[in-house]
Amino acid sequence: MIFRSVATVFWFESRRALTASRLVWWGVLTLFPSLIVGMIRMAIADDPNQPGPEVWTVFLFALVPMLVSMLGTFLWATPVVSAELEGKSWVYLAVRPYGTIAVLLGKYLATIAWVLSSAIASLILAALIVPLDNVGGIFSTILPLTILSCPAYAAIYLLLGTLFPKRSMVIAVAYTLIFELIVSMIPALINTFTVQFRLRTLLFQWADIPIRGDTNVLLAFVGNPPAWEHVVVLVAFTLILLLVAIGVVREREFSASEEGNG
Amino acid sequence: MIQLTNVTKLYGTVIGVNDMTLDLAAGAYGLLGPNGSGKTTLLSLLTGQLIPTIGSVRVLGESPRNNAELFRRLGYCPGSEGLYANVSALEWVRYLCQLQGFTSKDARRAAEAALATVGMTAAMNRPIASYSRGMRQRVKLAQAIAHDPDLLILDEPFNGLDPIGRHEMGELLKTWIAEGKSLLLASHLLYEVESITDRFLLINGGRLLASGTAAEVQALLVDAPNEITLRTTQPHRLAGLLVEREITDSLRISDHSVVLSTRHPGQLYEQLPSWLAESQIAITEMHSADESLQALFNSLLKIHRGEVV
Repeated sequence: MIFRSVATVFWFESRRALTASRLVWWGVLTLFPSLIVGMIRMAIADDPNQPGPEVWTVFLFALVPMLVSMLGTFLWATPVVSAELEGKSWVYLAVRPYGTIAVLLGKYLATIAWVLSSAIASLILAALIVPLDNVGGIFSTILPLTILSCPAYAAIYLLLGTLFPKRSMVIAVAYTLIFELIVSMIPALINTFTVQFRLRTLLFQWADIPIRGDTNVLLAFVGNPPAWEHVVVLVAFTLILLLVAIGVVREREFSASEEGNG
Repeated sequence: MIQLTNVTKLYGTVIGVNDMTLDLAAGAYGLLGPNGSGKTTLLSLLTGQLIPTIGSVRVLGESPRNNAELFRRLGYCPGSEGLYANVSALEWVRYLCQLQGFTSKDARRAAEAALATVGMTAAMNRPIASYSRGMRQRVKLAQAIAHDPDLLILDEPFNGLDPIGRHEMGELLKTWIAEGKSLLLASHLLYEVESITDRFLLINGGRLLASGTAAEVQALLVDAPNEITLRTTQPHRLAGLLVEREITDSLRISDHSVVLSTRHPGQLYEQLPSWLAESQIAITEMHSADESLQALFNSLLKIHRGEVV
């Protein structure tokens, strides 16, 4: 029953998202990495020291699993609850069997479908214009990172949106800036709790980018454990965040007394 | 059908529902109260969206909080609109039916039937954004009845409807009741409710003021002063007579009438003809403002506010 309800919400939301503004956003996210790569190519066209595969790999990592995945899931997943509450449509869903869970997970899956499709399309387009003979290696490194990053970021933003429905976007921006962009760079234990750290470490390992092993600071910056451990942590992290979001949505009172006038 | 045991709901320090105890058998009830009286809070408690701070709520024998089995038997039409603008009524009602557990095909059938019941067949494929407020109200009702619930809870369902729409909605709800199904209809307008059911719950300030049929609620007011208007060409003489007989708590003269307040209306009605005959005073009209349900409701509110002892 619950799986069918999740699938119902997924299809309904995916169809409902077929609006001009959403499609424009999808197009902008998809084309943005290609635009940046194209501009970099033009800027360095006459430079005799052309960047190597490692540099392009890092560029594409920054543009796709970081920017497209993060921004896309931020825009889609953060307002999952707040949009329904502000639109006062939450109540119709909350009085259905497993309605709130179905809405949460159905919209989560819709987020992943839309953002992942955009991220993969953007990766393909950007990889096509990278001035290297063998872009297949870069693509095969970035694609799994993209596949890991979308569900993880979507789960984070979903949980933030569930915990703070009234200020969801502000909180999500603050989280992104403070944790994913600043804390993830701090070479200490705390950065291991960020998605960014795990993805970055996997990037260095899968892309075979050499790391100076003589400094603990650099190791803390990109991480030492094997790749499988980072993958397991990312998957577990995603599942735990989703379970917490489900717990919050089941236990929390989202009904506002001002909904009616009585 | 509905049991509330010492239910209190607090929003911080603000009381939404105040120590409410209630046991309603299956049937149709009107939930009456002015704006801000706690109707929506009570309905939110009944539909499991809110958790009581104190006390317990049972609907159809079950706790409503996160109760999938109960939600299959419950239809709820909230007071707020909350419809998706860019989908059609058919898509939306079908979607909600699917969330009730219907297959896609059955959900479509149920949605079409419900929309036909509320007279929305012709417009059901148009985006909801193009609907008038009355049409949206019908669609809201359609989603509440589409899965054929045992208990229908409606919050201000007449809002936005024109007179014809109100009549049609009323007829629809009467049919619903005639089919033996239960209904709880919240409204701040008495005339809307009394045309559909004669059993009421009156709330104000989060408290249950009274419940029962109109007659039962009226019985609560035996000791409350009744206001009676007597129309006569000799208002001063009539007023003097009434004061002399010590039957009134208060009275006033306005134009050609005497408006009096009494705690003993029965005694007044019994003795007034002989007093008038003795004094040779003719009255051309007599009516009690307290005969209407609206007056009854007003009286209960006055008692509750302490305006009447």
